[in-house]
Amino acid sequence: MDLTKMNAALQELRSKYAVANNGEIIAAPCGDMGAGAILKCCCGKNIPLLPWRKERRFFELKNLVDTNTLEDVSTLRFAWMASGKTLAQLLYRELDLCEFIGESPIVSIFATLGGDKTANAIVKLADTKSCSVECSAGLPKGAEEIDKHEIIARRGIGCDRVVDSQIPMSSIYEFTEDGEKRYTDVDTELYGFSTEEIWLIRAAFEVLSKPELADIWIKADSSIRKKVAAALETEKNGAVALFGKED
Amino acid sequence: MKPVKIAMVSLTHGHTRKYYQTLRENSKLDWVASCAEDERAKEVYELYKNGVPCYLSIDEMFEKHPDIEAVVLASANDKHLEQVKDCARRGVHVLSMKIPTFDPKEYDEMVEAVEKAGIVCQVELEMHYNPVVKRLQEIIESGKLGKILSVQATNITLSPVWAFPWQGSPEASYGKRVPLRDGDPRFRGGALCDHPHIFDLIRWLTKSDFDFVYSEVAPNIRPDLEVEDMILANGKMKNGVIFSLDPSWSIAENKLKVPGPGWEVFPKRMEVNVTITGEKGVVACDCFGPNVYHNGAPNDRFTVQYTYFDEWIGLIDEFVACIREHKEPKINLKWHRGTIDAMNACYASIQTKAPAKV
Repeated sequence: MDLTKMNAALQELRSKYAVANNGEIIAAPCGDMGAGAILKCCCGKNIPLLPWRKERRFFELKNLVDTNTLEDVSTLRFAWMASGKTLAQLLYRELDLCEFIGESPIVSIFATLGGDKTANAIVKLADTKSCSVECSAGLPKGAEEIDKHEIIARRGIGCDRVVDSQIPMSSIYEFTEDGEKRYTDVDTELYGFSTEEIWLIRAAFEVLSKPELADIWIKADSSIRKKVAAALETEKNGAVALFGKED
Repeated sequence: MKPVKIAMVSLTHGHTRKYYQTLRENSKLDWVASCAEDERAKEVYELYKNGVPCYLSIDEMFEKHPDIEAVVLASANDKHLEQVKDCARRGVHVLSMKIPTFDPKEYDEMVEAVEKAGIVCQVELEMHYNPVVKRLQEIIESGKLGKILSVQATNITLSPVWAFPWQGSPEASYGKRVPLRDGDPRFRGGALCDHPHIFDLIRWLTKSDFDFVYSEVAPNIRPDLEVEDMILANGKMKNGVIFSLDPSWSIAENKLKVPGPGWEVFPKRMEVNVTITGEKGVVACDCFGPNVYHNGAPNDRFTVQYTYFDEWIGLIDEFVACIREHKEPKINLKWHRGTIDAMNACYASIQTKAPAKV
C-alpha cells in the first residue's frame, strides 16, 4: 500500500466533492485482523475501515436485498481463499459481510479449523438466516484470490460469480510470450491504485462524507473482533459461540 | 474553481438519467435547471426527484436562469442542429450526445456555429473514460502486443426504442427517411445509430482512420421496427489493421416505457467486448465486467446487475475542465466526424452490397 498516494487521492476526492471533514489513512498494526488501514479522523478518532462495504460487488449484492430483488433471504454462502492472510483476517471480512448483507447481527458461530490454514463456520443471524463461511489461507504465494458470495432467497439467488464458474473473472486477459496476465479495473477516479487501495480510499472518503458512519464502524469493528476470536476458539472448546438469541 | 452552472435539455435521450448523479454530486457543477421536450419527458424526469426545476420551454429556462453556462443536450438526433445553434447564439457550452448529426451539411453548420461562438462542444463518447479501456490503451501503448493486426469488438445492447421511441424513427434518429437498400422495407436509423462507440474506439486505439467498411444487415429480430436492429461490419483501417464490429441490438428486452429492473429478457443489457490481436500477443476485454448476478424480481430470470458505471464522472470532469481552462475536448466535433463518416459508409455499403470507402 502506498499511503502517501492514497492520502493524496483522498484529498482530491474531498476537494472535488466539497467534503469538509478531513482525515488521514494510516497503516494498521502489523498482523491486525482488520482491513490493514484505519482512518485517523480530524475529530480525533481512529476509525476502523470496512472497505468491503464500499466494494461495488458487495454494495450491489446488498442492493439486491434492499430493493427486494431477492425476497426473503434464507442463507448466505460465502467463501474466501487467499495467500498471505491469517484466518482471523479472512474471517473478519466474511463475518462482517454476513451482518452487512444479511442485515442482522450474528448470534452464533460454530467453526472447525484445519490448523492455521482453513476454517469452515456455520453462522446464525438473529433473524434466523444461516450463513456458511468457508475460509482458506492455503493458496500458494502469488496465487490470485478466489472468493464467492451467494445469497439464497425464496425468490432468487444473487451471486458475485457468474453461474457455472469456479474462479473470478477479470475485465482484461492479456496473452503474450510472457504468459497470461489479468487486470480488473473498476474505478476511473482512482485508476492506477490496486483494488485493495481503491476500496480503502473509498471507505475513508465515505466516512469523511458521512461522519455518522464513524461510530457505526467503530461498533461493528469491535463486535466482529470478538466474534472472530470466539469463532477461532470453538475449535478448541467444541462449543457453539453464542452472542445473542434468534428473533 | 467556480462551479459551472449547467442545465439539461430535452431529457429524451437514453443516457439522460446517467448524468443525474454526477450533476448532483460534483462540486465543480451547479445544476440549476432542466428543460423537458414534452410533458411525458417531464413526468419521467420527476420520477428521479432531482430537486432541480424543470421547464417545458428552453426560452423560459434561459429567461429564469440567465446564468446558465453549459447544457447537456439530452435529445433526439434530429434536434441537435437547432439546439447547438441556439446554444452557440447564447454563448452556452454544449455537451452533445453521441450522434451530433448524420448529415454532412448539418455537421459543417454545427462546426461553424461552435467555432464562431467560441464555445466548448464536447461529444459524449463515454467509453473514453472507462477504466478497462484505459488499461487496454496502456497495454497497447506499452508495445507488449507488438504491431496491432486486428480489432474485434461488440457494442451490443437491448433496443431502447420502447422507452425512447425516437430511436426507432428514421427521421428522428438518422435525420431523414433513407431506405436501407432497394426492396428492403426498412430504413436507416436503428442499432447502428445507437452504437458509435466501437467505431470511435478503434480510431483512437489504432491511431488510424477508416479506409473502407463492408456492412450487412440481417432480418430484424424485432419485426415491428422500421429500422435495422441486426448489423455487422468489417473492413480495414488506413494503417492496415483489420476489424470486425457488431453494433447490433441483438439482446432481447421487455418493452418497458421507463428503463428499470426487468428490462432484460437476455441476462445482460449490454456488452462492449474488445479483442485485439498483435504480432506479439492477444488481449481480450470486457469493458463492463465482471458484475454480480441474480434471478430475483421482477422477472425471476438470470440477470446481470452491473457494478460500475464511472464513465459519466470522467466525461463531465473533462467538460468542466475544458470550459474553465479553455481547452479543446478530446472528442470534439471535428475529430468525431471521422466516426460519423464511417457509420455513414456502413449504410452506403448496405445499400450497394459492396465495400464502401470512408
